[in-house]
Amino acid sequence: MRATSVQMGHFLNYRVAAWGTTLIVLGILPGCGIGPNLTRLLFTALVWIITSVAWNLLGGFTGQVSFGFAVFYGLGAYTAAMGINGGLNPLAAFAISGLAAAIASIPIGLPTFRLRGPYFAIATIGVSEAVRVVMTNLSFTGGASGYRIAEHGPFRPLEHYYTALGFAGVAVVISAWTHYSKFGLSLQAVREDEEAAADIGVNPLKAKLMVHLQAAALTGIAGGVYARYAAYIHPQGVFAFHTSVAILLMPIIGGAGTVAGPVIGGFVYGLVQEELVAAFPQFHLLLYGALLIVIILFEPRGVVGWLGKLRVFIERTWRKSAAASVG
Amino acid sequence: MDTTDFANLLVSALLLAGIYAAMSVGMTIIYGVMKIVNLAHAGFLMLGAYFVLELYERLNVDPLVGSLLAFPVFLVAGMLVHWLLVKRIPVSDQPTLASLLLMFGLWLVLQNIGYLIWGNSDRSILTPRTLSSWHLGPITIPTVRLTVFIPAVCSLGLLEFVLRRTWYGRGVRALMQNRYAGRLAGIPVEKMARLTFGVGIGLAGAAGGLLAQLYSFSPDFGHGFLLRSFVIIVLGGLESFWGAAAGAMVLALVETFIILVLPAGYQPAIAFSLLVLALVVLPGGIAGIFAKKHRWA
Repeated sequence: MRATSVQMGHFLNYRVAAWGTTLIVLGILPGCGIGPNLTRLLFTALVWIITSVAWNLLGGFTGQVSFGFAVFYGLGAYTAAMGINGGLNPLAAFAISGLAAAIASIPIGLPTFRLRGPYFAIATIGVSEAVRVVMTNLSFTGGASGYRIAEHGPFRPLEHYYTALGFAGVAVVISAWTHYSKFGLSLQAVREDEEAAADIGVNPLKAKLMVHLQAAALTGIAGGVYARYAAYIHPQGVFAFHTSVAILLMPIIGGAGTVAGPVIGGFVYGLVQEELVAAFPQFHLLLYGALLIVIILFEPRGVVGWLGKLRVFIERTWRKSAAASVG
Repeated sequence: MDTTDFANLLVSALLLAGIYAAMSVGMTIIYGVMKIVNLAHAGFLMLGAYFVLELYERLNVDPLVGSLLAFPVFLVAGMLVHWLLVKRIPVSDQPTLASLLLMFGLWLVLQNIGYLIWGNSDRSILTPRTLSSWHLGPITIPTVRLTVFIPAVCSLGLLEFVLRRTWYGRGVRALMQNRYAGRLAGIPVEKMARLTFGVGIGLAGAAGGLLAQLYSFSPDFGHGFLLRSFVIIVLGGLESFWGAAAGAMVLALVETFIILVLPAGYQPAIAFSLLVLALVVLPGGIAGIFAKKHRWA
């Protein structure tokens, strides 16, 4: 894979530096006395980033737009909640969350991946709504009235923050690996043309199931991390359609099919949503709906696409002015 | 269960099927001509409901007349949406994700405009008809169900007439069968698409007005009906109106009779499970069938 190794080198040179800086800044920020409110905001943003990056594996790289990620998020949240209540170490509980979501992804993926494009998208709406209705009626998880996590000991926001940061870092590494690896190339082949991908030896169903599994596991972990922080979860929250919608909007607005896009999307969504929800409960969705329309019509690569265009524009004007000053 | 109960359930299933068919037909016609999966359908159902409510509360217009008035208003709105947004996405003879997401974005916008204007409390339309009922021997029919059923079926009949007997209708059917051949035969595709989008949205608005007389609604109204519309048009084979009527009948029957075996809380899950089942059991999905049909074209 000559092309890949060239890309890999490029990737190592420039991007690792940018990602490393981001990680270090986020790592030392809570130590700089930013206050509990900002820490909470950053924590929420990090959880959203995990889900956004996970969705992008399936929706961005592989082109399978799913409206059903709340299933994995909710399942992870409930699994972690029950594990922690059962006396498990939180990290072990998160691992089981990821596992539960990954296992659930198989029976969901097997039938729905027979469908293409919009039909897959619609079927995932059906799956996620059916799961929500069942969870609302299930008695051993508390049904519609929700489930409470009773964790002993003091509330340590920094522990939650660093857990989220760690998993977000893992998610980004998986995303970058998926983008530049042979597996990632096969996913992109499936996105562009399933028949052609099958002709060159990619098994589309297997590739989709594999990446669905990864995405589900990450989303489940994010759900678990959120559940432990919130200490109370209910089906209308974690399994709600608007959770699926949020998980879909972030990567598309940030830039589907890129590594940085979902991170930017998740970060902005996390901050903006948390701040706006208090003041105008619905305004952020109005804003994001409008943004989605604009992005579909003008720039399918989202914010990352706009940033790229901006860079080209700046470089061009800089070169022009340089040439003018020489002439 | 004795025969009276059975007959009662059957009648209520039939009445439900009528309104279900009217609700999904707007989506079918847009899908048929443009291959756009109109997720914003739910948003227009919701706006139709509030349109009728506002007319009723402010000007005391009867909800049935309001639903009738909703059609031209939403027709114009639909044509505007087509002119502003829909025509800017690439035309395709297969449904695309771009159009799906565009309509989804539009739905989010409509829904949240609804929240800004009307808040998130549940509203309902109460008329003298709401609580009265008819008695046909042992069978009880709520009056409002019947007064909604009749215009719903009439609108379907009228649409069928337009599609069979007018130049516009023949053009629509031609485009549904083959867009390229239709263009070659001199059908102004762009104009037809705009008008059809308007008709589809107009039907959605009117159906929303009819639904509002049966159920309470909030700006999130239409969400459950959107999925039911999908079930109906997928069951019915996506492009046929009689298919949509049959699909509506199947869904209404299943939803009505399932309460005999399942707790009522699980009832919404039926439509959603039926949707996944319908999509998956048809081999390769409906898209697969179309892909084959158009490869020869």
